[in-house]
Amino acid sequence: MTEPDLFTRLAATHKPDCLLSLDGPLPEAVPDPEELGRTLGSDAVAAYAGACRTIYEDLRRVIGQLSGLLILARLTNKTEMGDLPEMAQCRARWNEAGQRLAALFPPAGLQRHKAQLNGAHVFSGHVIAAARDLRRGSDMDAQLDLMTVQIKRAYAHLEAASAPKAGLQMVDFTHACCACAH
Amino acid sequence: MADYSIWVLEYCYVSKYHKSGVLYGAHNQGYVKLPYCYVVIKGRDHVAMVDVGYNDKAYGKVLGDRFGVENWRDPKAVLAEIGLSPADVDTCFISHAHFDHFGNVEDFPKAKFYIQEREISKWVWAMSLPDRMRWMMVAVDPGDIVRGVGLAAEKRLVTVDGAMEDVLPGIDLHSAPDSHTWGSMWVTVRNDGQKQSQDAWVLAGDLVYQFDNLKSSGAVVDVDTMYTPVGLAVGSQTNLILATEEMMSQVGYEARRVIPIHEEGLRDAFPSRISKDGLRVTEICLADGENSKVA
Repeated sequence: MTEPDLFTRLAATHKPDCLLSLDGPLPEAVPDPEELGRTLGSDAVAAYAGACRTIYEDLRRVIGQLSGLLILARLTNKTEMGDLPEMAQCRARWNEAGQRLAALFPPAGLQRHKAQLNGAHVFSGHVIAAARDLRRGSDMDAQLDLMTVQIKRAYAHLEAASAPKAGLQMVDFTHACCACAH
Repeated sequence: MADYSIWVLEYCYVSKYHKSGVLYGAHNQGYVKLPYCYVVIKGRDHVAMVDVGYNDKAYGKVLGDRFGVENWRDPKAVLAEIGLSPADVDTCFISHAHFDHFGNVEDFPKAKFYIQEREISKWVWAMSLPDRMRWMMVAVDPGDIVRGVGLAAEKRLVTVDGAMEDVLPGIDLHSAPDSHTWGSMWVTVRNDGQKQSQDAWVLAGDLVYQFDNLKSSGAVVDVDTMYTPVGLAVGSQTNLILATEEMMSQVGYEARRVIPIHEEGLRDAFPSRISKDGLRVTEICLADGENSKVA
């Protein structure tokens, strides 16, 4: 097999801060449970969607927490992120999400949906692991750069798994400025 | 002499919003129109904004379908009404992290963003709480925080701990901890550049939704008028009232100088016009030499 030429290599290579530069299945639009439920009218789809909710909410929170902690780590240049009590709670929630994911069996047509949840779990797990090893030094910026890409990737997977009518949504609008009577 | 021009730009609206959300305790009093706006502050050397709205790609369908948010327009179209583009904006003050204020940072590629440190740190804490306390996480999108991580990596995010004077010349930031949100912030423009300004404007974020929050009937406590806080507070209504008092003191208790951004009544207090997209452009004040954008 011939090597691709320089132009093709450059055009196809992601920048280091591109979230698609990380290995693994890519975030992609997938059929959501609500859509499939309408098509298939299946109890199994409804049960799957119900089981997803807790996992989705856990991952939403894990990603939110990690993002906030990453901002603070970056701005304060402090490495204690991995030792904070919030990180312990985050890790526990991530573990629970992993156990629930392992017990989640998608009906036909929803394997790709589950793969997106898996992706969110895997990449947020990379950030949790990296936080433990975060140490002050010349490479702290490089460590944070990689964690930034990983958390963006985790979010992209979770966003791909969103299905508002099935209760899988990023923002709780219940009491937001827009929460009018509809 | 005025250093800055200030405009309030509507970027979408809710036609029927329950009044009790706007005004604490106003139950069964019907609905009001709730415009969604951001503020542009234009000086000789800087173009700043208070809040950046939300991104319709991410939220538009849900908001439109479920909550009646109408007529969202891209910042490119909205800012063009005053002759600017998002790339002209060099500074954004984020009053708080709710999605409709912090949800569109990507459309402002050259801006540096200022937010209260407490708004981030308490969010991290709230996210760690059990599900039964989930109410405290309302209206914040983790995606906005994720985008904040990117801004921090690019050194375009500044967290502020409390008040900050002259963040730009004549512009101050003030914090209202544990009020509407954990680390809400308002922006004061001293338009004459003086420390004891006679020409100050307060850009209130969501600490004040409408003029009624500044001046509503005080009959219940036997006074003419009183402050009434907004309906939504993850902190306390007491802290909202205390922040309101401080804002009002900064403008010599001239209520029209405290600018609420969910207020349809701005049209009665300031010159304004409706854009071709059906959104209001309100001109709060003009810098020396600046031409009106609503005439």
